[in-house]
Amino acid sequence: MFVLKFLIRRLFQGAIIVFLVSALIFTLLRVVPGDPVRLMAGGMAPEALIEQIAEEMGLRDPIPVQFARYMGGVVQGDLGQSFVRPANGASVGGASFDDSTRGERAKVLGLIAETAPMTIQLALLAMVFALVIAIPIGVAGGLAPGRWPDRMALYLSSIFVSLPNFWLGIVLALLLSVKLQLLPAIGYQNFSYTILPAFVLAIEMAPFIIRTLTVSVAGVMAQSFIDIARVRGLSRNRIVFHHGMKNAAVPLLNLLGVQFSMLLGGVLVVEFIFDYPGLGLLTINAVMQRDFPLIQGIAIVTAAAFVLINIVVDLAATTIDPRLDY
Amino acid sequence: MTAIDIAIPPAPGAGEARTVASRIWRMAFSSIEFRIGLVVFVLLFLAAALYPELSGIDPTKMNIRGKLMPPLFMGEGWSWAHPLGTDQLGRDMLSRTLVGLRYSLLIGVTTTVLMLAVGALIGMLSGYYGKRVDMVLMRLTDAQLAIPMIILAITILGVSRPTIPAIILVLGLAGWPVYARVMRSTVMSERKKEYVRGAMVLGATDMRIMFTLLLPLVLPPMAFVAVLDIARMMIFESVLGFIGLGVQPPTPTFGNIIADGRKYIMNAWWIATMPGVFLFLTLTSINLMGASLERARNAVYGGA
Amino acid sequence: METLKDAPLLQVEGLCVVARGPAGDKPILTDVGFTLQPREILAVIGESGSGKTVLARTLASWLSAPLTVTAGTVRFRGTDLLQDIAAAKRLAGREIAYVGGNPAGALDPTMTVGAQLVEKLRAVRPDFTATTAKAKAIQLLEAVRIPAAAQRFNEYPFQYSGGMMQRAMIVDALISDPALLIADNITQPLDVTVAAQILKLMRELNERFQTAVLFICSSLPVACEASDRVMVLNGGRVVELQEPTQLVQAPRTDYTRKLIAELPRLWDHATHTPVEAREVARPIMSVRGVSKAYEVSRRGQLGKSLVQAVRNVEFDVYQGDNFGVVGESGCGKSSLMRLLTGLERPDTGNILFEGETVSHASAAKLREMRRRFQLVLQDPYGSLPPQSPIGAILEEPLKIHRIGTPAERRDRARAVMSEVGLPDGLYNSLTTGLSAGQRQRLNVARAMILEPRLLIMDETLSALDQTEQGKMLDLFERLQALHGFTYIFISHDLAMVRRVCSRICVMYLGEAVEVAPNERLFFDPGHPYSRALLSAAPTLEERRYRPEDCLLEGEPPSPIDLPPGCAFASRCPHAFDRCRRENPVLTTRGGRALSACFLNPEPTLYAAE
Repeated sequence: MFVLKFLIRRLFQGAIIVFLVSALIFTLLRVVPGDPVRLMAGGMAPEALIEQIAEEMGLRDPIPVQFARYMGGVVQGDLGQSFVRPANGASVGGASFDDSTRGERAKVLGLIAETAPMTIQLALLAMVFALVIAIPIGVAGGLAPGRWPDRMALYLSSIFVSLPNFWLGIVLALLLSVKLQLLPAIGYQNFSYTILPAFVLAIEMAPFIIRTLTVSVAGVMAQSFIDIARVRGLSRNRIVFHHGMKNAAVPLLNLLGVQFSMLLGGVLVVEFIFDYPGLGLLTINAVMQRDFPLIQGIAIVTAAAFVLINIVVDLAATTIDPRLDY
Repeated sequence: MTAIDIAIPPAPGAGEARTVASRIWRMAFSSIEFRIGLVVFVLLFLAAALYPELSGIDPTKMNIRGKLMPPLFMGEGWSWAHPLGTDQLGRDMLSRTLVGLRYSLLIGVTTTVLMLAVGALIGMLSGYYGKRVDMVLMRLTDAQLAIPMIILAITILGVSRPTIPAIILVLGLAGWPVYARVMRSTVMSERKKEYVRGAMVLGATDMRIMFTLLLPLVLPPMAFVAVLDIARMMIFESVLGFIGLGVQPPTPTFGNIIADGRKYIMNAWWIATMPGVFLFLTLTSINLMGASLERARNAVYGGA
Repeated sequence: METLKDAPLLQVEGLCVVARGPAGDKPILTDVGFTLQPREILAVIGESGSGKTVLARTLASWLSAPLTVTAGTVRFRGTDLLQDIAAAKRLAGREIAYVGGNPAGALDPTMTVGAQLVEKLRAVRPDFTATTAKAKAIQLLEAVRIPAAAQRFNEYPFQYSGGMMQRAMIVDALISDPALLIADNITQPLDVTVAAQILKLMRELNERFQTAVLFICSSLPVACEASDRVMVLNGGRVVELQEPTQLVQAPRTDYTRKLIAELPRLWDHATHTPVEAREVARPIMSVRGVSKAYEVSRRGQLGKSLVQAVRNVEFDVYQGDNFGVVGESGCGKSSLMRLLTGLERPDTGNILFEGETVSHASAAKLREMRRRFQLVLQDPYGSLPPQSPIGAILEEPLKIHRIGTPAERRDRARAVMSEVGLPDGLYNSLTTGLSAGQRQRLNVARAMILEPRLLIMDETLSALDQTEQGKMLDLFERLQALHGFTYIFISHDLAMVRRVCSRICVMYLGEAVEVAPNERLFFDPGHPYSRALLSAAPTLEERRYRPEDCLLEGEPPSPIDLPPGCAFASRCPHAFDRCRRENPVLTTRGGRALSACFLNPEPTLYAAE
C-alpha cells in the first residue's frame, strides 16, 4: 500500500521533471544562436533553399507550437528523426545541399537504442570497479576515524578526485595500451575494450564513494545504539556488520543516485577519448552537428533514466530504513 | 550532560575560538594534509602568477626550429630554457601550462563563488519560508539536477560561442542546486531551534533573522566545503576545453593544450601529459585542503 | 526479607575511578563500597557530577577512555569483574543487565524491536531457538504491559512512544533472566504518571523474576519510594547508606540533611504560596475558545490526518497573578505557548492581551505588542544565539524595536544584567562559558529589557537542578515585587507550581480540564486527572492521594483518533456512560475553581462567585 502510493507520486513527479527537462532543452536549442539548417545544408546553399528547408522541417514555427508537435510524437514513442544522420548508417551526414540521399534520416529512437546498451555495459562495469576499490578503503577509514586508515582514505580520495578523467585516459592508454600492450584502448571489438574506459570512470567515481562511506560509517558507529549494543551482549562482528554497515548503507544509496548524474558526464568524455561507440560519443557528435532531435531525444532518455534510478534508490533506502518517508 | 561529559576536560583552546568558522579553520589548519596542500598550492599559485612574465618567455611565440623539444633529461635536445619542452609550434610548454593554470584558477574560483552565492540565497529562502516557496524552489532544483551538468554545458556552449563569461555562467548555474539543498536543510533545522524562536518573539523581522542571525552562522562552513568545488570546476573547465567547448585557442588552457597534444602522443608524449601533471598537482593540493576543511566541519558540527 | 541467609550478589570495595586528562587525573569515584543482596533494590542518588553514571557503567563493564579504574574490587558472585575481563564480558547482557535513561537512541532504527530482542537473547543464550526466543519476548512485552504485544513485536523503534520504549528496553534487559539489573536514570525523561507506572512495574518485576536492581536516580523522593535501601553519593564518595525511612528521619550527614530540607513540600498547608490577585476590570491576558490542529501525514495512509493539539481552551489571567499551566507531554501546552506569544495563529477563538487581539493582529501591530509581553525559553543552551557576546544579545531587542541611542542601550543592558545577578565583567564575553543557571538569567534579562508587563515562562526551570531552581524562583519574586510583572508559568513540575503559582490550569490532550487556585487544586481537585497527577508526584511526605486509587494504566489515546466524549474516559477509574458520549466543559465549582467533569455537582443558579 505504501509502496503503491510512493510509486504513483514519484512517477507523476518524474513525468513532470522529464517534461520540464525536455522543454528546457528544446527551448535552449532554438533560442541560442547557431542555425542548424545552415549546417545541414552546407555553407554553399542559397538563402531561399535554406528557408524552404527550414519551413518544411517546421523550424520557423513559434516555439510552443514546435514543442507541442514534438511532445505529441514523443508520447507516441516517436522521438523524431536525426537532422544529420542518414538512415543508411553512415556515421556522419551533412553532405551538401543537393545530395539526394538526404531524404531518409535515421530515427532518433533507433540511434539511441543502438548505442545505449554499450554505455550501460560500460557504466555497470565502471560501477563495479568503483565499488570494489572504494568500499574497502571507505569502510576501513570509517571504522578507525582519525587513525591511519582514515588518513589513507583522505589521501587516496584526494588523489583520485584530482586526476582529470581525460588526462588519465590518455596516460593510461599510452602506458597500458601502447607501451605495455596489455589492454586495448580505441574503439570496440570485444568486451576487453570496455575494461580500460571503465577503469578510468571508476577512478572518477571512487573518491565520492570513499568520502561518503568514511563519514557515514564513522557517524553510525558513533551513535548510541552501537555503543549500547556492546553492553547488551552482542558480538563485535555482529555489531559492525549487521547493524553498522546496514545503517551506513543508506547515505551510500543516496550517493549512488547522484553518481548516476556524474557518471553521464564522465561517460561523455571517456567514450570520446577511447572512441567507444556508446551514448556519450553519440551525444558529443550530436552537439557538434547541431542535431536537435538527437540532442533532445538523448536529454529525454537520460532524464527519464535519472528519474527511474532515483526512484529505485529511494525505494531501496526505505526498505532498509523504515523511518524514511519518501 | 552525563557524568562522562563533565569528567573529560575540554581540549585546550577549544573554548576560545569566537566563531564556528574559526574553530573549523583552526582544526583543519592543524592537520598535516592541509599544510601539505597549502604549501604545494602556494608554490603553484606563485609560479602561475609570476613565472610567465618573469622568465621573459612568451607562451605564444612560435619557433619552428625549436619545435618538439623534450622536457628536462627526457630525450635528445632538451634545454634549460624550456624545462617542459616545446610543442609542435615551438612554444614553451612551461609558460603555456602556467598560463593555462591562471585561466583554470580564475574560472574555478569565480564559478564556485557564483554557485555558492546563488545556491545559498535560494536555499535560505526555501529553508526559512518552507511550504509553498520551498516546494517551488525545490522542484526547480530537482529539475536542474536531473540534467547532468555536462549535457547542459555542452548544449549551451556547443551551439553558441564559448566565451569566458558564458563558461562561468553555465558552470556556475549548473552547480548551484547542491548548495541550495545543503543550505535549505541546514536552515530548516536551525530555524526550529530556540534561539530563532526567541528572536521571533522579540519581534525581529524575517529579513533580520535570515541575514543577521542565520547567515553568518551557516555560510562559513559551507564556504569551506566549497573549496572542493573549486577543484571540481577546474576539472570541468578543462574537460570542456578538451572537447573544444572551452576557452578557444590561441589562448592556452589545459583542455586545448592536452587536446592538441593528443595528436603527437606517439613521438612527443610530453605535450599531452605534462600539463596534466601540473593540473593534477594543483588539484590535489586544493583537494587536500578542501578535504581537511570538510573533515573539520564534520567534526565541529558532529559535536554541536 | 531473607536476604541475610544468602551470600551477597554484588560486593564493591574501595572502588576508585579517575578521568585521565592532559592536566592530570581527575577523581570521579573515591573509595566506593557497598553490598547488594540478591533480589534487593538499592537506589543510588546524587547530584549531577556526583559520579552515579560512572558507577553504573563500571558495574556494567562499560567504561571507556579516559575513565579508568585505579583501585578497588567489584565482586559479582565472588568473581572480581575488574580483574577477570573475560568473565565480565560473558556476564554482560546475560547476568548483569543495563538499562539507560535514553531509550530513544538505544536500538537500531532499521530493525524491528522484536527482531532485536530475539537477537540479543540468542547472542547471550544460544540455547534459545528463534521460535522460543520470540515467544519469550512477547511474553515479557506483555508483562511490562505494552498493549497488543504481538503486534508491537513487529514494529520499529520510531513507532514506540518514550514510555513504551523504556519498557521495551527493560524487556531487553530482563529477557536473559539476569540476576542484576542496573537501571540508570530510567524515569527522568518521562512524564510523572508514566514514571510512576515504570516504578510500579519495577517493583512487580523484582517480585516476579527475583532480579536485584541497582536503581540510579537524581530524585530523593523517587529513590525512597522505589527501593529497599538508599545510597547517597556526593563528589564521588558514599555519604549515606540506609533504609529509606531511617534516612529521612535520621540522616547521618549534613549533605543529606540539606538535600531533604530543600525538597519542596507539596502537602504542607503552611507552605507560603502566592495569593491570587484581586480581579480588576479586565484581565491582562484572555484566552477564549482557542483551538489549533496540525496536519500530519501518516505512513501507509493516503492524505493527511489532523492532530488536535489545542481544543477549546479558555481562561483569564489577571495582573499580578502567577498563572500556571501544567500537563504532561502531549497535553498541548507547548502549542498553547506558541499561540499565546503570537508565533502561530489559532484556528478558532481569540487571544487578547490587555484587551487587544493577539491572534488576529497584523505583523506590525504584533511587533509593537511584543514590547509589552515576552517569553522566556526553556533550553538554556539552544535559546541563545551561539556566537554573539552577552552585551549584544541583551541589546538586540532594543535594536529591533529601535529604542534609545547606542549609549542608552548599553546602559540599559548593564542595568538589567545587574538586576538578574550577572557580573558586569561578562558584558563582552561569549556565552560559551556560562552555566545553565547563568544562561537562564540571561534569558530572563533579555525578556525584561523591553520592560514588558507580562512574562511567559516556558518550562524555564526544567533544565536546572534543585538549588539553581530555588535561586531563580527567588529572582522571579524579587523582580515581580520591583516591576509588577505578571507571570504565566508553563511547566510539568508540580512541586514548582505548588510553590510559585497562585492559580493553575491543568491540561490533558489539548483541553483545559481544570482551572483553580493553588490551595484548592492541591487539596480539593475537581478532576480525576488532576487527582492522578497529584498522586503520582514524587514526595517524601505522606501522600494525600493514594496512587492505587487514581493511578492511570496504559497510554493516553492518540490525538489523531480522539474518541467521542471525555478524552480521559478511557483511563478514568470513575468513568460512566455519559462520559463516553458527551465532552464535559469547564463549569464552576465555586470559589473561582472550574473543572470539566461530570462527577462534579451541577452548578446551581446561586453560585455566582
